[in-house]
Amino acid sequence: MLGPVSSKIKSVSKLKYDEKPFEHWGLTSNEVRKITEKKDHGLYDKRMTLKEAVAKFVKDGINLGVGGFVNTRVPAAIIHEIIRKGVQNLTLSFQSNSICLEWLAGAMIIAPEKVSIKRVELAWWGYELIGIAPLWRYLVTNRLVETDDYTNYGMSVRFKAGAMGIPFIPVRDHGGSDMELVNRGKMIVCPFTGQNIYLLPACNPDVGIVHTTAADMYGNARIFGALCTCPEIATASAYTIMTTDKVIPTETIRRYPNLTEIPYVCVDAVVEQPFGCYPGACYGYYWFDMDHLRMYRGICDEFRKTGNKDGLTKYFNDYIFGCETFDDFLEKTAGYKKLRYLRDMDGGQPIYTL
Amino acid sequence: MPEYSAFEMIAFTGSRQLEDRKIVFVGTGLPIIAAMHAQLTHAPNLYMIYEAGSLAPILEIGMPLSVGDTRASRKACFLKGLCAVFELTQRGFADYAFIGGAQIDMYGNISSTIEGSYYNKPDIRFPGSGGAGAMAANCGKTIAIMAMEKRRFCKQVDFITSIGYGDGSPDYREKAGVMGSGPYRIITQQALFGFDEKTRRMKLLEVRPGFTPQQIQAMIEFELIIPSKVPEMAEPTEEDLHLLRDVIDKEGYFLKRVVKK
Repeated sequence: MLGPVSSKIKSVSKLKYDEKPFEHWGLTSNEVRKITEKKDHGLYDKRMTLKEAVAKFVKDGINLGVGGFVNTRVPAAIIHEIIRKGVQNLTLSFQSNSICLEWLAGAMIIAPEKVSIKRVELAWWGYELIGIAPLWRYLVTNRLVETDDYTNYGMSVRFKAGAMGIPFIPVRDHGGSDMELVNRGKMIVCPFTGQNIYLLPACNPDVGIVHTTAADMYGNARIFGALCTCPEIATASAYTIMTTDKVIPTETIRRYPNLTEIPYVCVDAVVEQPFGCYPGACYGYYWFDMDHLRMYRGICDEFRKTGNKDGLTKYFNDYIFGCETFDDFLEKTAGYKKLRYLRDMDGGQPIYTL
Repeated sequence: MPEYSAFEMIAFTGSRQLEDRKIVFVGTGLPIIAAMHAQLTHAPNLYMIYEAGSLAPILEIGMPLSVGDTRASRKACFLKGLCAVFELTQRGFADYAFIGGAQIDMYGNISSTIEGSYYNKPDIRFPGSGGAGAMAANCGKTIAIMAMEKRRFCKQVDFITSIGYGDGSPDYREKAGVMGSGPYRIITQQALFGFDEKTRRMKLLEVRPGFTPQQIQAMIEFELIIPSKVPEMAEPTEEDLHLLRDVIDKEGYFLKRVVKK
């Protein structure tokens, strides 16, 4: 969206794109604050099942903020339950992700009456080493979703602005690229320096979903390994569902409060789900399962190339709709030996849950 | 000279561009391998940033298979999230961006978002910017790896994802509000490119032994600046190949990859 001020992008770009007036794709900073003000800010037990958490918070038409980064600490178990519950007209917000999004896209293709994605604000959707994401390519080239492109910093700092309670944030990227034309940021002249500076709108999802290393029953969470953008997403969102590999005592949290990356007030549901990122990785516990990602990617690529939904339907019937819980899914797909192998492959990354 | 593959040549050439006592913000694949090679040879005090949040890791449990791989956090000096490392970059602490892309033009503008002329319904959709757009904007200098084909080295990229010198005007990057100085090196298996200081246009720096500048020009849609003397690219030695094959990418995840069209 070209503002009254711009870089010189128009002198080099020949891109065609639809011009649209600015619109919030999630909550405004004022709206999210009002929701927060009405909440119970006491310490109370937020543990529940994944089924209960998703039924309580995930509604049609919401902006869903997805945590993790590509194949790392991705909230796979939560997405798995969201698909089984079903949700329509999702707006997805994230920096970079893989299986979570390809699962939602697969569900939209084989069961559109259950799951549909309306629009996607993102930096990157793919599998890295394993290849491009076939369903992402399918959705966009067939114009089945609306897109809004940012950089990884752009999406991350939009959540950060959301977490800070401010409506926008100035950044040093996007300007002079075609993202300046197509995304919802704006170039302005800095009132202090007189130089061009790009502004990004804050991102406040209705529901944020994150997986953490360990958390207490109130939602105070520790994250080891890269934080990705999980603390910002949890803080920016009106409601946050958190799965954690391990629930730990509050005494432990209070012993080293500096290690709390997400404070309890930002969390609405705590679900203990070991291997909750599988087939993604969780630092200190397990590496990602390349075989499973390759297998699902292959099925999706087959659909993209042939239009035949049989493989995709079978995968969903076996591994998602055919499961009552995420533990069922782990048993059917990975099994003990694979999980043991992935634990070994983590290489003993150091975490601290004492 | 020993036999080497295209990917090995690219990784080796990438390594040669990285100076010691600098920080390189790496993308997945060959940039990681190039930086690891540089650390093991001429640049022991070169450090990496991985965008999920780590600075200066020691990659002792193996080469990270992606920039988000949990291995990329091993024994880092600093481990936070994306905001932290991109803000260090915006602040000026990252010397090199090391990225890739699908298309590039004569001013080093790179596309990794779409192919096609219409954003809302492109012919091909790629993953998107990821970190590349932010790295090309705000790291000190941008190094990119590209496959040399006419449709990739083109007059007009379909979507500028990673900013180069724009239309070549001297104030393009300033008006864009970005902080880094822009494109520095473009690496292919057949040639190494830089940019002319005055015109900001792509310039042939070195060619692989066996290639002539004319052959390189013939693979590119826009006109290159070709100096009267173009030196040959250095080739990896047995020791370099040993490091690449037996120490860095032992399983051959990237160096033995089969390129799919």
